[in-house]
Amino acid sequence: MDILVSSLAAGILIGMVLALMALGLTIIFGVMDIVNFAHGEFLMIGMYAGLLTAQSTGMDPILTLPVAAAVGFLLGVICYFGFVKFLLRGPMVAQLLGTFGLMLFLRNLALLVFGSEDKGLHHGILVGKSFDVGMGVIIPATKLAAAGLSVLAFLAVWILMNRTKIGKALTATALDGQGARYMGIPTERMNALAWGIGGTSVTVAGALLVNFWSVNPFVGILFTMIAFAIVALGGFGSVPGAFFAGLVVGIITEIPGIWDFFTYTFNFEWMANVPMTSFKYMWVYLAYFVIMVVRPRGLFGWKH
Amino acid sequence: METLRNTFDFSDFPRIDLMVAGFVAIFLVVFPLVPHSSFAMATMIQFLMFSLYGMGWNTIGGYGGQVDLGKAQYVGIGAYTTAVMLIRWDVPFWFSMPIGVCLAVGWSFIIGYPLFRLTGHYFAIATIATSLVLKDIFEVWDFVGAARGLEISPIKYSPPDFLRLIFKEDIYYYYIILGFFFLGILYVNWFRKSRLGFQLRSIKDNEEVAQSLGINVHWAKIKTYAIATAFVSLVGSFHACYIKNIEPEDTMSLDLSILIALMAMLGGAGSLWGPIIGAGVLIPLKSYLKEWLGAKAGLVGIDLIFYSLIIMVVSAAEPRGIWGIVEKIRRRKQV
Repeated sequence: MDILVSSLAAGILIGMVLALMALGLTIIFGVMDIVNFAHGEFLMIGMYAGLLTAQSTGMDPILTLPVAAAVGFLLGVICYFGFVKFLLRGPMVAQLLGTFGLMLFLRNLALLVFGSEDKGLHHGILVGKSFDVGMGVIIPATKLAAAGLSVLAFLAVWILMNRTKIGKALTATALDGQGARYMGIPTERMNALAWGIGGTSVTVAGALLVNFWSVNPFVGILFTMIAFAIVALGGFGSVPGAFFAGLVVGIITEIPGIWDFFTYTFNFEWMANVPMTSFKYMWVYLAYFVIMVVRPRGLFGWKH
Repeated sequence: METLRNTFDFSDFPRIDLMVAGFVAIFLVVFPLVPHSSFAMATMIQFLMFSLYGMGWNTIGGYGGQVDLGKAQYVGIGAYTTAVMLIRWDVPFWFSMPIGVCLAVGWSFIIGYPLFRLTGHYFAIATIATSLVLKDIFEVWDFVGAARGLEISPIKYSPPDFLRLIFKEDIYYYYIILGFFFLGILYVNWFRKSRLGFQLRSIKDNEEVAQSLGINVHWAKIKTYAIATAFVSLVGSFHACYIKNIEPEDTMSLDLSILIALMAMLGGAGSLWGPIIGAGVLIPLKSYLKEWLGAKAGLVGIDLIFYSLIIMVVSAAEPRGIWGIVEKIRRRKQV
C-alpha cells in the first residue's frame, strides 16, 4: 500500500512542476499556433540558471527563482524578435524545423559552455529534510516546496491571463490576430509577451526542478515530449487543462511504482519480470498518441 | 509501357537542369575511380543514403505536405530485420531486405491509419511519439540486443560477399547504394506524374477540394506513407550491412528523423531534385565540420552549432529551400 501511495504522491508533486513547464508551451501555442520544439531546452537553461546562481552566490536554491524568471523572459523575447518572427511568415514545415534548429542550437551551446557531465544541487535549507506523512510515505521537502511554488506560479500566470487587461489582449490575439490589430492591440508585442511569459514559466519550472533533478545539456528532449503530452491531454491553448493534464502525466511517469505495487500485492510472477523502469517515459509518449487519436481536442481544448 | 515511358521521361525539366543532372550522374559514377580519401568515400555513401531517405520523405512530406518526423522508426525496422536475420539465421541481404520493407510497410499501415486522422502539428508530433515508443521498446528487447544493439562481425564471412553485402572496401557499398539511388530517382520521377502523385498534390493545396473531387484523402495519404516507408526501410537494411553495428540510439533517434526531413526541406520539398541538393549540401557540411571543428579539444558541439544556425537561417529566410531560391531567380529572369 505504501508503494502505491508514495508513487501517487510523487507523481502528483512532480506533476505540478511539469504542469508549470507545459504552461509555457500551451500559452505560446494558444497565442500564435506555433509548436516550440526548443521548449525542453528552455527548461534546461532554466535549470542551469538556477543551479549556477545558487552555486556562485551561495544563495538558497529556492531564492534563485527571480533570476531564472528574468533569464526566461529575456530568452523568450529574444527568441521571438530574433528568430520566431521570421518563421511565422513561412509554412508549417519551416516552423517545425526552425524551432528544431533552435533546439539543436541551444543544446549544443549549453554543451559548449557547461560541458556534458551531470550537475546537481546538494545544498540549501531544504535538502535532506523530509516529511513523514504516515503509512510509510516520505515526501522530500525539496519536492514539496517545488510543487507548492509551481502552483503559486501557475496561479500568478492564470490571474495574469484572466484578470488583467494584458491577459485579455493576449486572449484577443489568440482568438483573432487581425481583429485584435484593428482594435488597437499591438499584436506583435503581444506575441513577444507570450514568448516572454512562456519562457518565464518554463525556466521557473526548471529552477524548481533542479533541486532534485540533475541537469545536463541533453535533458531537453524528454521534457519537450512530456510537455507535448501534457498540452495535448489538456487541450492546446488551455491553461486550466495544462494543470490537470500535468497531474495526470505526473502520475503516468510513476507507473513503474504502481506496477510494483500490484506485483507485490498480488504476487504476480510475470509482472516482476517486465523491466518496467525502462518503460518509464514510453507511457508518456503512448499517452500522447492515444489522446491525439481518440480526442484531438484534449480535455479542455477549445482550439483545433 | 506507358508507365515505363513515364519513368524515363524527364522532358518537363528545363534543358539546363538535365545537363547539370547528367554531369552529376557522370561524376557519381566515376567518383570511385578518381583518387579520393576514405573519408570522402564514407561521406559520399552517406550522401547517397540520405538522398534516398530524403526522396522517400519527399513523397509524403514534399508532394503531400504531411510533415512526418518519425521516419527513423522505419530505418530501425529495416536495419534490425536485416541484422537479426543475418546474425541468427544467416539470411542474405537480398532476402531480408524485402522482408524488412514488408514489415516496415505493414507497421506503417497499422499506425498510419490512426495517424492520418490528424493534420498539421498534431500529426507531426504524433509521428515523433510513435517513433520514440518503438525506440524505447527496442532498447529493452533482448532479442534485438536491447540498448547495446547488434553487431555483424565480418570475420565470419569471406568478403566480398555479394549475397550478404559484406565487403572490405567501401567501393562495393558505393556502387550498390548508387544503383538504389538511380532507381529511386526513376521511381520518384514516375511517382510525381502518377495518379497518386497528382492526388497528393491536390491534397496538399486544399484537402477539402480534393475530397470533394472524389479523392479518398485518407487512403491516398496512407498509401504514400507506405511508399515513403519502403524507401527509408530499404536504406535502413543497407545501413545495417554497411555500418555493421546498429543501436537504437543511432538508427531510431529523433535526430535522424529530423535530419531526414531536413534533407528534403533544405533542398526544396516537393521537387525531384530537392532532397538530392539538400543531402549534397548538408552531409558534406556536417561531416567536414565535425572533422575540422568537432575534434578540437574544448570545442565539443561547435559543429552542431553551425549546423543548427544554417537550419534556422534557411527556415526563417527561405522556407522553400535551395530549390526555391533557384526558381525565384529563374522567374525573375523570365520577367
